[in-house]
Amino acid sequence: MLAALDQLAIQRAKTGDLEALEQLYRAYEGLVYTLARRLCRTEEDAEDVLQETFLEVCRSIGRFRGAEQASLTAWIKRVAASKALMRLRSDRYREADSLEDGPELTNPREPDVALQMDLETALARLPERSRIVVWLHDVEGYTHEDIAELMGMTVSFSKSQLARAHARLRRWLRR
Amino acid sequence: MSGIHCSMEDLLAIRDGQGSAAARRHLETCAECREEYELLHQRIAALKALPSFSPPRDRWPAVKEALVAERRRRKFLGWFSLAAAASVAIFLALRFAAPATEGEALDQVTLEELVTQSQMLEEALRSFDPTSRVLSGRAAGAIADLEDQIALLDAQLAEAQAGRVDPSIVRELWAERVRLLDALVRVHATRAAYVGL
Ligand SMILES: [Zn+2]
Repeated sequence: MLAALDQLAIQRAKTGDLEALEQLYRAYEGLVYTLARRLCRTEEDAEDVLQETFLEVCRSIGRFRGAEQASLTAWIKRVAASKALMRLRSDRYREADSLEDGPELTNPREPDVALQMDLETALARLPERSRIVVWLHDVEGYTHEDIAELMGMTVSFSKSQLARAHARLRRWLRR
Repeated sequence: MSGIHCSMEDLLAIRDGQGSAAARRHLETCAECREEYELLHQRIAALKALPSFSPPRDRWPAVKEALVAERRRRKFLGWFSLAAAASVAIFLALRFAAPATEGEALDQVTLEELVTQSQMLEEALRSFDPTSRVLSGRAAGAIADLEDQIALLDAQLAEAQAGRVDPSIVRELWAERVRLLDALVRVHATRAAYVGL
């Protein structure tokens, strides 16, 4: 999925060369947009995050010290995650978020037959922060410490959000 | 089976290599919890296997446009501070030159006014953020054109400052600068009002 970039292309991008920066954009747009879609509420927000992420990456890549593409990828993803989370932290989402975080489930091992759904639907149905924690921890491999720092919350809150998310998915997916 | 079943927190902690000894011991002996643990792994594998998305629109042109506008602006503001420094030097040189005739005194005031006007227009320009809105091609072209002219003018001003140039020429350059800045502010203001609708 991620196109390979050679050392030369990365070096040229660091000098601010627009062609090299476009090459960087082309290599990473899918990765960044996918991450943004998983973290943001709407497609429009995800598109804006894609744009904000690359503006930031193009501005700051000159100061990026890594030489390997793997560390470049990690850095770009981190920029994207923080742009997406900044968006979610804004006031207009706060109220909705506290409302949707319902009561604790009594028995997560008891599947909810009325609520059978596929994974995509179940993921979308999770409360905002639970979904983000699941994605960052289980898919992107961020530690709870990383997530706590990115989201401005405690490590134990991140852990409990993850457990609640899995309890819900377990019930909704019957697996 | 020994002890109570593992909670979701227990299973997740075990998966991250951080589970308590009691929970791990229980997991080894309890078929039901092992089944749960297996389901947890399956869920995570399914999450990782979800398809990726492709951006519906190409956002590179917007990124590039914002970048180019920023660079142009940085260059432009760089020139401005150079020109501003030059203007202060010229102004001081004029003020402390031999006692001025009435005509020359008038010229000094005019130059001072022009510099002040120029700085006020510059202040107004700073309030227009080039990255906040997408420029139409024509507005972007007009702005780029004016900024190029101003940059050229500032180069001339810097040169005039380095050599010994007639103060009236310097004043004329400043007057031209004010005219261009004014035009630039108008383009920005028109665009802001238009997009604001
Ligand atoms: Zn058990």
